[in-house]
Order: sequence, then C-alpha cells, then structure tokens
Amino acid sequence: MPLNALGRDIPAFIEGYGKVKPYRGAFALQPSGNVVGPRLRVTNADRTDKVLPDLKAAIAASGLKSGMTISFHHHLRNGDYVVNQVIDACAEMGIRDLTLFPTALFGVHKHLIDHIQSGVVARIWGSVNGPIGQIVSAGGLGEPAVLRSHGGRPRAIMCGDVHIDVAFMAAPSCDRYGNMNGVQGPSACGSLGYAFTDCQYADCVVAVTDNLVPYPNAPISINQTCADFVVAVPSIGDPAGIVSGTTKVTRDPLRLLIARYASRLIEASPYFQTGISFQTGAGGIALAVTAFMKDAMLRKGIKGSFGLGGITSYFVDLLREGLVDKLLDVQSFDLGAVRSIAADPRHVEISADMYANPWNRGAAVNMLDVVILGATEVDRDFNVNVNTEADGALLHGIGGHQDTAASAKLTIIAQPLLRGRIPCVTDTVYSVTTPGECVDAVVTEYGITVNPRRADLVEACRGIRDVPVISMDELADKARRMSGPMDPVETTDRIVGVIEWRDGTVIDVVRQLKKK
Amino acid sequence: MKTASAGTLESMDCLVTVTEAAPGSGLVVELEGNGVSRFRSAMEKAVRDTLEALGANDLTVNVNDRGALDVVLEARVETAVKRLRGER
Repeated sequence: MPLNALGRDIPAFIEGYGKVKPYRGAFALQPSGNVVGPRLRVTNADRTDKVLPDLKAAIAASGLKSGMTISFHHHLRNGDYVVNQVIDACAEMGIRDLTLFPTALFGVHKHLIDHIQSGVVARIWGSVNGPIGQIVSAGGLGEPAVLRSHGGRPRAIMCGDVHIDVAFMAAPSCDRYGNMNGVQGPSACGSLGYAFTDCQYADCVVAVTDNLVPYPNAPISINQTCADFVVAVPSIGDPAGIVSGTTKVTRDPLRLLIARYASRLIEASPYFQTGISFQTGAGGIALAVTAFMKDAMLRKGIKGSFGLGGITSYFVDLLREGLVDKLLDVQSFDLGAVRSIAADPRHVEISADMYANPWNRGAAVNMLDVVILGATEVDRDFNVNVNTEADGALLHGIGGHQDTAASAKLTIIAQPLLRGRIPCVTDTVYSVTTPGECVDAVVTEYGITVNPRRADLVEACRGIRDVPVISMDELADKARRMSGPMDPVETTDRIVGVIEWRDGTVIDVVRQLKKK
Repeated sequence: MKTASAGTLESMDCLVTVTEAAPGSGLVVELEGNGVSRFRSAMEKAVRDTLEALGANDLTVNVNDRGALDVVLEARVETAVKRLRGER
C-alpha cells in the first residue's frame, strides 16, 4: 500500500474510482493542459421557446441514457423537490445505473434510498449525509462515494475529471428561453453559486422552475446561452426547508466561551485592522464569533472589507451597519440573506468557481484574512476531519473547509473539547479532510492552541489577557484522560468513500463499517 | 421483579436501570446509546467494577447512554443499586 504525504494508506487503484493520484501537499500539484468544454449546439431564430411540457419530455429530449452522469445543485437544501422528482421520472422511464453528481444531498433526499437499492442510482459523487450516509457506510452503494470541496468540484468539472451529461437546474425564477435567477419566486433561495459551473460545462442543461416569467427574466444569474430546455413544475421546493427563518447564535455558555476566545485571538492577530475580510459559516459558534467580532470592531473603530461564503443575516447586519463594505455570497443561508442579495448591489452573487476553485486565475478565498471552521476531530498534527463521525460513519460533506483553510491567512478551528463522551482532539483523526499545514489554531473551552508552525501567532497570543493558551499535546492528553480509552472502529477492507483534496489528489479513504 | 433506576437522558448523562434476577443468574450488563460504538469496553469495565465494589450479584443492569463520562456512569450505577436495596 502506498502512503500519501500525510502517511495515509491509499491504494494505487480503487475499484469504482480508478487510478489514484495520492495527496502530495496542499499546493504541490500543478495543472497542465486546457479547460474542457460542453458540446457545441446551434440555436437559430426559428427556436424562440425552450419550454417542454414536463420532466419526462425534458429527460427524453436531453438524450439521457442509462450509465450517464447527472448533476444538481443544493441551494434548495432540505426543501428541494427537484432531485427526487427527476430520479423518480428516470426510474419510471427505465433509465438506470446513473451517476449522481450533486453539490450536496440533504435529509429530504432519503427518498433516493429505494433508487439506490434498485440500481437506478449506482454512484454518488458528492457528500452523503444522514440516512444515505449510513447506507453508504454500511456498503449499500455499489461504488465509492467521491467527496470534493466546494472549490474542488468546479475544478474537477473544468479539467475533465468529471463530465456532466445532463444538469438539472432548479431555478426559482426562469423565462421561456432559460435566463435564471435565484432571488425571485415562491422558492427563492438567493445565490445560485454552486450551479454556475454545471450550467456552463454540462452537455445538456434542463432548467426546472415553478416561476416561469415573460422573456427576458431580470436579474439574470445564469443565462440563456447555457440552457437547452425549460420545464415548469407546480413546485420546486418547500420554502420552509429552503431558507431557515433565522440562523441562531448559540446560547450554550460553553460554546459562547469558545466563541469569545476565538474572537480574542482574531483581535490579537495582525489581521485585525481596517480592511479585514472574514468567513464564519452558519454554525452556532461561528455565528457567535461574528457577533463578538462586531463588538470588537465597534470598540476599536475598525471596518472590514468583505464577508465571504455562506451568508447569514448576521453578515447582512454587518453590511448595513457599515462594518463590511461588500458580501460575496455563494450560498444564502436565511431569509435575511435572500432579501439582501435580491435588493442590495453590495451583496454579490459569486460562483463556486470564483469562490474556491484552486485552478483558475484566482479564487475569492485567496483574499480571505480569517476563517472560523468546525470539525468532528482534530489530531496532534492539526489534521482535521469533518467527514466521518466517531463511529466511523461517513455523514458530512467537505463544503468549503479545505478551500478556506488552505487560503485564509488565519484558519481557526473552534469546537468543544468533548461532544458527549467523544473527544474532538485525538492522537490521529479517523479520516483526514484538511491537512494540518492549513490549520493555524484550534480554540476550545480550555483556550487557544496555536499550530507551532505559526511562531508569529504564538507570540501574538502572549499578549491576550484572560485567555488561556494550551499546547496541542496538553489538550490531546486532557481529552484522552476525560473520555477514557476508545475501542477501535471495526471496518472491512472495502472502500466506500474517497476524500479528494481540492486539487483532485486523494487525501484519504473511508472504509465500510463491519456489521455489529 | 424489583427494579430501580438513576440518571437521565440528558446529554453527557445516562439512565441506568437495575433489575433483580433469579439467584445464581449472575450479572448481566446491557449497554445501548451514544457512547457504545467507541466506549463499550470502558463502559463495561466501569459498570462491572462498580458492581463488584458494591458486592452486587444476580442483577440485570441496563445502561442507556447519552455520552456519560466514567465518573458519571459509576455514580449512576451505584445510586441505582443502592435504591434497589432501599439504601437511598
């Protein structure tokens, strides 16, 4: 078995995945060659309407056959009706052995389990969560799930690692010629960031909308030059599942303490000055950090330049109050964010390619000062796992974790030392998502733990009053003392998940769980 | 069959239920819940050590775990056994 640069045992060839390029370092791989492209089409003035009567007509017109690859975006999140409707239609039409290439799947997609078991869905190249994750972990999918980051996915499309035959594009607002946006209509979701690359590179694009508007639609996010067909359906999603009414700051005193320590670290860092840019995600601790940062910015009279990533109402407030100048939004998390991106020109929709792809002329993450991230585990080498749970089940996607960690000047992992009895700081993570070389500090209720690679941060932390600083070894020892000895996860040799680094090399694999 | 219990199903706690068994049937330990996937051995040891220290015998002990540390688990087992004996 060859070892990759992190000492992970990765076979040279994985059944159902192919030849493996082992991870060699966060920035080691240099691309060569050219970007691939979609099939050429001709559309003349005699075709002024792309609307077809229903999904089945569109699937037939797209030329979709058994064994092909179809893609979806996840901006409708847990309210999405499109994925299930399309796969149901494929099953009824006798199309099987499909590769599903979603930007993410949610609980609502557990409906697909029957289609996995019947062979309609043969492969999933994307995050597998909840019930589908459990099935994949138990070996219920014929071939391994392939996990990519938000930046790694458009990279894989553009360099030809993944070819999309048909992209089914849930469009909250669309005209009869395929101009789409996500900010209008009953299923408005805000930014369509993850869908841009699919629409630009798929051989065929089917826009699915429940809000067909007269030509031309405005504003236009993804335009008519990408769209082959348009289908109007009664509903593409349940608004209650698409955007949460509010994303909430944690009220747990332990997590608030961690958030306060993290914001104190940011304040003490060299990046806390006018023009600071940051990304904090939508987790409870991360949102609390945003709130504490706001106080600190007001107190010290500094203003930030931009907020990035998945945007919440908290970031919209920072924009409105003049504490950041712009928001770059790849995913709008709540109602406040959806309303803001629809109305405020300073709140900008960006594609996943522009957000995080390492192989273009420069992604937005490169301009990022600070990112706050979570983890299921961190180890003594600062490697982070966000994909597998303590029992070894593959339950979470990578999201923007790798891209922001690799690119931000200050990457902070903020989390409690224990979740229940499970230690979040361990000797060796069960699977690696993000390598330790990209992580600058871990913040727990026991204080700040700085990666020794960052001598400048170690120095900066000396000046922080009332915030303990604790070494990684002390932290890991403490976690082990509290939790007690752990039994190993029992697995078979079969690989059920491949975790790609953002450049397409394999950073780790996940094996099938033994039946209990 | 007399039973007694101690604990809760709150996070980082556990609910321990002890039931008298027929004489000579020994100690039966049933573990379920969050911690079991990675802490079965540690939990089993904590429960049996506590029962031994109390001189307990012929009992079925059921633990429904929500991520309790050993100290919590041991205290819950001890309390449940003492309640069964009418000592608490």
